[in-house]
Amino acid sequence: MAIYELPQWAALGPALLLAATALMLFLFDSISPRSTNRSLLAGTAAAGSLASLAVAVWFTAAGVGTPTAEGGRGVIDPTHGFVVDQLALYFMIVVAIVTALIVVASYDYLVDHAYQAEYYSLVILAATGMSLMAAADSLVTIFIALELASLPSYALVAILKDNRGSVEAGLKYFLIGALSSAIFVYGISLVYGATGHLELSAIAEVITDGEADPYGGLLGLGLLMLIGGVAFKTASVPFHFWAPEAYEGAPAPISAFLSSASKAAGFVIAFRIFTEAFPLGEIGAVIGFDWTVAFIVLAIVTMTLGNFAAATQDNVKRMLAYSSIGHAGYALIGLAGLTVDGGELVMGAAMMHLLVYGFMNTGAFLFVALAEHWGVGRTFEDYNGLSAQAPVACAAMAVFLFSLAGIPPFGGFFSKYFLFVGAIEAAAANMAMLVVAAALVVNSALSLYYYSRLVKALWIEEPPATRDRLAQPTGIYAAIVVAAVMTIVILPGFGPVVDAAIGAAEAVVG
Amino acid sequence: MEGAFSYAPAIAAFPLVAFVVALAFGKWLPKKGAIPGIAATAASLLFSLWMLVAVASGETYHETLYEWTAGEAASEVGADGIAFSFGLLIDPLSALMLVIVSLVAFLVHVFSLGYMNAEGETGLPRYYAGLGLFTFSMLAFVYADNLLMAFMFFELVGLCSYLLIGFWFRTRSAPSAAKKAFLVTRFGDYFFLIGVVAIAATFGTLQFAGDQSFVAAAETAIDDGATLFGFDAETWVTITGLLVLGGVLGKSAQFPFHTWLPDAMEGPTTVSALIHAATMVAAGVYLVARMFGYYALSPTALAIIAFVGGFTALFAATMGVVKDDIKQVLAYSTISQYGYMMLGLGVGGYVAGVFHLMNHAFFKALLFLGAGAVIILMHHEQDMWKMGGLKDKAPVTYWTFLAGALALAGIIPFSGFWSKDEILYDAIIVGLEEPVILAAYAMGLVAVFFTGFYTFRMVFLTFHGEPRSEAAEDPHPVGWSVKFPLIVLGLLALVAGVANLAPVAKLANVDITFLEHWLDGEYGAIEGLTYGAYGELLAYETGVIGTEQQTVLIAAGLSLLLAFSGAGLAWKLYNAPEPVAHKERLGSAGTVVEDNYYQDEYQVWLAEGVTLPLARVADRFDQTVIDGLVNGVSSASLFSSSWVKRIQTGIVTNYAALIVAGFVALLLGLGLYGGWF
Repeated sequence: MAIYELPQWAALGPALLLAATALMLFLFDSISPRSTNRSLLAGTAAAGSLASLAVAVWFTAAGVGTPTAEGGRGVIDPTHGFVVDQLALYFMIVVAIVTALIVVASYDYLVDHAYQAEYYSLVILAATGMSLMAAADSLVTIFIALELASLPSYALVAILKDNRGSVEAGLKYFLIGALSSAIFVYGISLVYGATGHLELSAIAEVITDGEADPYGGLLGLGLLMLIGGVAFKTASVPFHFWAPEAYEGAPAPISAFLSSASKAAGFVIAFRIFTEAFPLGEIGAVIGFDWTVAFIVLAIVTMTLGNFAAATQDNVKRMLAYSSIGHAGYALIGLAGLTVDGGELVMGAAMMHLLVYGFMNTGAFLFVALAEHWGVGRTFEDYNGLSAQAPVACAAMAVFLFSLAGIPPFGGFFSKYFLFVGAIEAAAANMAMLVVAAALVVNSALSLYYYSRLVKALWIEEPPATRDRLAQPTGIYAAIVVAAVMTIVILPGFGPVVDAAIGAAEAVVG
Repeated sequence: MEGAFSYAPAIAAFPLVAFVVALAFGKWLPKKGAIPGIAATAASLLFSLWMLVAVASGETYHETLYEWTAGEAASEVGADGIAFSFGLLIDPLSALMLVIVSLVAFLVHVFSLGYMNAEGETGLPRYYAGLGLFTFSMLAFVYADNLLMAFMFFELVGLCSYLLIGFWFRTRSAPSAAKKAFLVTRFGDYFFLIGVVAIAATFGTLQFAGDQSFVAAAETAIDDGATLFGFDAETWVTITGLLVLGGVLGKSAQFPFHTWLPDAMEGPTTVSALIHAATMVAAGVYLVARMFGYYALSPTALAIIAFVGGFTALFAATMGVVKDDIKQVLAYSTISQYGYMMLGLGVGGYVAGVFHLMNHAFFKALLFLGAGAVIILMHHEQDMWKMGGLKDKAPVTYWTFLAGALALAGIIPFSGFWSKDEILYDAIIVGLEEPVILAAYAMGLVAVFFTGFYTFRMVFLTFHGEPRSEAAEDPHPVGWSVKFPLIVLGLLALVAGVANLAPVAKLANVDITFLEHWLDGEYGAIEGLTYGAYGELLAYETGVIGTEQQTVLIAAGLSLLLAFSGAGLAWKLYNAPEPVAHKERLGSAGTVVEDNYYQDEYQVWLAEGVTLPLARVADRFDQTVIDGLVNGVSSASLFSSSWVKRIQTGIVTNYAALIVAGFVALLLGLGLYGGWF
């Protein structure tokens, strides 16, 4: 309990801290533009993201967002267009964790890099955007936060200016992003046209009151376009095309950042928009179908396409990129499985999966960053026998991969298990969810194939004779080990995580 | 005596500790693990005796010690939930058996000093660890208070016998014999397991004793005329009882699962003594005695037990007649004797069966240890035709072995006579009313003749006549660790019959049937687990020839006459300075018997001619259909994967086109679904 009451706007603290950190980094860059003081820059960025994490955890513990009836402080409305509830804090935590991990790992990755300060400030700005996405509850603030997250991301993907792949990837990402943003903002305008409101709760009110009934087609089109915008951010089919290229071309820590934090941020706006603005049942009466149908289709197609494309990749980073698309499909189950009377279990499961994913996927990409740091190459063969030289990192990588595949006792198993159970439960209301559950199982089985291929390369294959001694960069190692430990210990800690996720889901669904 | 039972778990725990010690530190111990084993079994024996005294003073013990899982269960009748637990049940039967097992185990450990250590065997820590685990499993099995726990330790007993039979794993025959013992008993245990599940599913409990036992539940179900799984209650009890009996027949080496036992002679002779007298083989018959109340509910199951028992008694006895290896003769005698016990239990002679189990434990341990002593004397020669004349050179071995032989052959007044006679008496009084039982009795009676014959053929060939090999002329001396167990067991073989002199009691009308009173709970017992309670459940009618006394006299006289004539024939044929084989005179019948009635052959045929082709078909199905399906799925996945990869052209305009196309497709699809057009 705080000794004195903080002002309302302070509820956005986690995002504001990130913004302040970004500004500090800018300030430092203006004073000393050519500085390569990596320790200071990375330290500032890490401190900022950890402070953001600490504040978010503190708010959660202090009961922000918990209904007052349960002894909490209730939902806080810091300012117009934002809301801080359990859902917002939960995703602020995810974003802050991933940001901290990749900032620490970047310390070594950016050795001899020309744009140190720019890099860190862009990362923190993007993180600010993602953090704000978690709290935005108006279509305008959502869009602005989304752009705040996206624009630095484009620059970050292309930051290796001498690397053709990086620059090309950045451009492609930007073009697809522009197209998607256009679709998204057009969707916003259509929804505004149909309902006359931009605030999510106000939209819901209009729909519930039946005032939008004459504009059913308009609203439906707008809703689909919003789905398109969300699909871009979460790298879901059919807006996924940027992902393999961007992840492959970008510096590996940025790939980790985009595939974990950015995806999670995409999901939080999806959760918020669709559960708050378009109440199930009523929306079906207006536009002819419930939006869960769209997510059922997207979930199945996304996880299937992602996993199938990942199965035959030779390039490790590209494999992870496609697997990341597959995991977006898993998380989409959280929206597909919602029903009129609830579904907090399945949505909570999706949120758990995103948290666990924040550790295991970030860790896996950071291992790729480590490999790039070593310069061993990019394909599965190039990774052969690395365990002989770097057993700790390879053990951590095995943990990430098995967790991604959903093997017990790692965190990924439990979140996937809850998703499965949630999907089966939702099948009582909608038989199509059985197909989703089946697709989840089949795809997980397939994913084990390509994940274990990499484990085999690392641990079983013989290393090539001509490989130099491998360095042990402290920052990347620290980040990888922390991620691995969290992937494992999140299992004992799953009780609180489950409570937090289900509580947050209940807050928006119920 | 109140506190005695809180030490009960220690009885099984001591040998377990010995097992761990022998396994972990045996290599560095002076006698390679023998000392902890002897100490542990001695402690178990003392504690078992304490339990015996406690039960004698009127106490019993039935406690659940550890419940590992419990839950809701939709059982057919009775309880809504089921709990799986470990618990102890110490009543007259289990207290008696604890003493028998720990005594035999103790003596076997002592004997091993002379048989294994003195002979410079290697791998002794493994040997003593095996003995310790074996004793532990058997003791825990004996005082298990529920069927599941009994099953688990029953299996552990099987595992231990596998480990010990295959002790000399570098030979070709020992590992093969061990595997055979394991597989054949496993086959029986498979039915046992199904029986356990069936009983649990039917009654929702696996307890042996008390109101919550499956025995009580089965009795209630039969009284209520309940229908269980589509059968009337009694039929269902018969079915489940026979399923459990599968495990019993396997372990107690009853026809047709007896084939593993003669091969098991490949293990050290001490192990054979333990297996035959007190552990593995005894476990089967003990289980029938333990859940006798359940079998008593089903006359059909009992008749089958009796008939199989009688048949096995005769069948195995005839095979024992033509064996040349001293241990082989003993092996067949074991099968035959357990047949008697099954016969006794099957005709409702609970006391008689348990009595014979006890006596047999003593005299069979004695005979095996005696055979072990002979094998030491003979420098590891087991062929009886190469022995002879050991009588004067090893008097202790001879006289104790003779005591065991007399008990085995059923010569008055040795222990075996009293218990065998009681079994046959119980069989004949039921047999007078039930023709099936009469047939079983007849087989048991004829077997007495063969038993007398093969027993004394063995004695004469081994100890009498002139030495027929160099080893027999100059036997290896045996030490006290060998003689001591022989003397203890020899005395027991002579006097153990006093425990229940039923014929004398009936003829002289004196009250000296101590064992009957013991098992009837006159000292202390758990309600429902007494001879009297079982007697009320039994549906057998009994008859007599003339008066009861006359019947007793006729039965005892008949069996004594046959035993003496068998022994006499052996004396006439083999008690010569230079005995000759008489097998040829048997002609083709002899060949059939010598080949063990081709039991092994048909079982091998069953394995190779039926099971193997079936397994091959299953394998082919697995290889082609299942694997083909899996491989097909994976190649289809990989093919579609490469196709999916091709969409990713790397050209950004294609992506924009595909995104818009995908979005439009989604729009059209959902629009159609939502009825927009």
